[in-house]
Amino acid sequence: MLKALAGFVVGIVVIALAGWMMMPHLMFTERVSPFGMEETVARIQHNIQNTGNGWELSGLRNPAKAVQSDGGNVLPVLMIEACSTDYSKPILKEDTVRFLSILMPCKISVYKKNDGKVYIGTMNAGLMGKMFGPLVGEVMGKVAADQQKFLAFDPSTPAPPMILPAAPAAGGGGGQGSGGGC
Amino acid sequence: MPILTFVQSLILSLALAAGAQANSTPGAPVQSAAKASSHSTADHSKFDILNKPFASGPEVTRACLSCHTEAAKQVQKTKHWTWEFMNPTTQQRLGKKHVINNFCTAVPSNYEFCTACHVGYDWKDNNFDFTAQEKVDCLVCHDTTGTYRKLPGLAGHPPYKDVEFPPQSGRIVKAPDLGDVARKVGKSSRANCGACHFFGGGGDAVKHGDLDSSMRNPGKYLDVHMAKDGLNFTCGTCHATAGHDVPGSRYAPTASDDDQGVHMRGKKHANPATCQACHGPRPHTAKHAKLNDHTDKIACQTCHIPEYARGGVPTKMSWDWSTAGKLDKNGKPFKLKDSGGHDAYDSKKGDFKYEDNVIPEYVWFNGTVNYTLRETKLDPSQVIRINHFEGSPDDGKSKIWPIKRFTGKQPYDTVTNTLLIPHTYGKDDSSYWSNFDWDKALTVGMREAGGTFSGKFDFVSTEMSWPITHMVAPKADALTCQQCHGAPGRLDQVPGLYIPGRDANVWLDRIGWSAALLTLLGVIAHGGLRIVMARKGERQ
Repeated sequence: MLKALAGFVVGIVVIALAGWMMMPHLMFTERVSPFGMEETVARIQHNIQNTGNGWELSGLRNPAKAVQSDGGNVLPVLMIEACSTDYSKPILKEDTVRFLSILMPCKISVYKKNDGKVYIGTMNAGLMGKMFGPLVGEVMGKVAADQQKFLAFDPSTPAPPMILPAAPAAGGGGGQGSGGGC
Repeated sequence: MPILTFVQSLILSLALAAGAQANSTPGAPVQSAAKASSHSTADHSKFDILNKPFASGPEVTRACLSCHTEAAKQVQKTKHWTWEFMNPTTQQRLGKKHVINNFCTAVPSNYEFCTACHVGYDWKDNNFDFTAQEKVDCLVCHDTTGTYRKLPGLAGHPPYKDVEFPPQSGRIVKAPDLGDVARKVGKSSRANCGACHFFGGGGDAVKHGDLDSSMRNPGKYLDVHMAKDGLNFTCGTCHATAGHDVPGSRYAPTASDDDQGVHMRGKKHANPATCQACHGPRPHTAKHAKLNDHTDKIACQTCHIPEYARGGVPTKMSWDWSTAGKLDKNGKPFKLKDSGGHDAYDSKKGDFKYEDNVIPEYVWFNGTVNYTLRETKLDPSQVIRINHFEGSPDDGKSKIWPIKRFTGKQPYDTVTNTLLIPHTYGKDDSSYWSNFDWDKALTVGMREAGGTFSGKFDFVSTEMSWPITHMVAPKADALTCQQCHGAPGRLDQVPGLYIPGRDANVWLDRIGWSAALLTLLGVIAHGGLRIVMARKGERQ
């Protein structure tokens, strides 16, 4: 009996450990971009604008600028912010899940690493949504599907111009949000 | 201090970029922002000879020389004047007058354009008089007003009347008030040197990667020595000039300066512009003493300049001349921009690629640079190294240096297998930028350079290396141990290195692991025996 209990506890610990170790890779994804920083950002921005479903760009943040202002250096990071009222509205209307507004707007991070390559970091919206009930699961599933469209690149098309935020605004992280979308 | 928002910085960088486009030439506008408080014993505004209007640069120079009698003679002995350098090691005749690069390619036949960055006036052809003292340009290095600007196409002169530049751009460059500039001369600032060195290769940040307009007034993050709110060094603080001769050379750089020791007053130092000239060969404190064990093989710059082009101005990384000459449907030249708004294509020049925050490549370098010159025979099936940094892990002189590797394609003679010089700029019919005819441009370019052209040409892939030595980051941003000792690491492409943590010897590892395993077995056996023996003893 004692051995069975011990085996059960060890099993739980092993599964919890495996879950703990895999969680970051499940919740967030990272992929190498075939383009440079600015072209990657530009292509994602234009994809967002062309996706429909109410998506609009709401900002482009540069956290590296804040580090520079503080006298330091980090490799380039640009955070594209986008929002769709089609998806934000049902969540913001429901009191039980309104706290998920902290996940808004939807962010895609484009950054360079020490290997010199440009990477794209995204949240796994589909998996995350499933943790918060059917309403959020359904909405975030749609967000995840659109997210795939944001990152579908066609190298045969010429590089579009990067879309710079429309108006200056005070903001942390050396960035800003123009308030588009949400 | 309020944080500069991203948009503000974007607007600022766009404004700078626009300015840079307008000035995308050597001799771009000079800002006097780095003007330091003067300790001069002379107020030039009180000199009678300067209190009059001047019609030309040489007129100002004659006034300067009436007091500074030896200045022109000094300048005329320097590379800034001769554009020549004889490398004592390789015996190659170098200098702007002789070398070919893979940016604008070469000076001969394009003098009026290129000499916007000569410290002189009137160099427009092969007949320039290098002995004429009044042709030395004092103002380009000593202007403090920020209004003195030499434009390409004027053979080293500033505009003497307001001109539209670039042509058809709608931007007007005002003619400087030469008298005002002359009455306000002072020590050279970052902006003075930067007017040419920040704009080398035909535009802001194009050539070097570690020198661009962001270095006029850099923040501490960009350069700890030149930071406007820090040490506020000018270029001359390190490139300590004597008799107008500026030390420091890209033709014969000082790769290792360990035997010189720290620069001291009264002691002649071979090159005061090296890091060791101030910091010595073992600069790290006792707390970080292990780092001093690296300094015999690793240049300071390798760790302390983790990336270049960090100031928000991307540097050009490649230039493909072979695609130049495309015209739009109206037969006119055109430009295309990349996603960041930088030139991606120009009918006059071909395709470009820009990048910022670039991670350097690393090479062994012993200070000797070998050039592919006009007469050097090349193998067009290979990538031609316009210059080659020599060095090896075994020669006892080399250190690992960070470099910018610039790639391109440029014309060569398919019969003689030598590089060709195009006549790019000129008001005549044969210049490439007028007629987009390579045959004519190469024929005239080579004739002016005193070379031969068979009439047959193609484009060959080339690369050029530039040592990275400016944009020194704060010490907290130096490379971490892991960035080289981990895998993958920064030095993976550098041959002849054994880096603990990254590299392994399979037999050494086997011996080590075997020893560890045997030790463990010994401990277990010994412990087990003691437990068994103890139990036996208890039973008895």
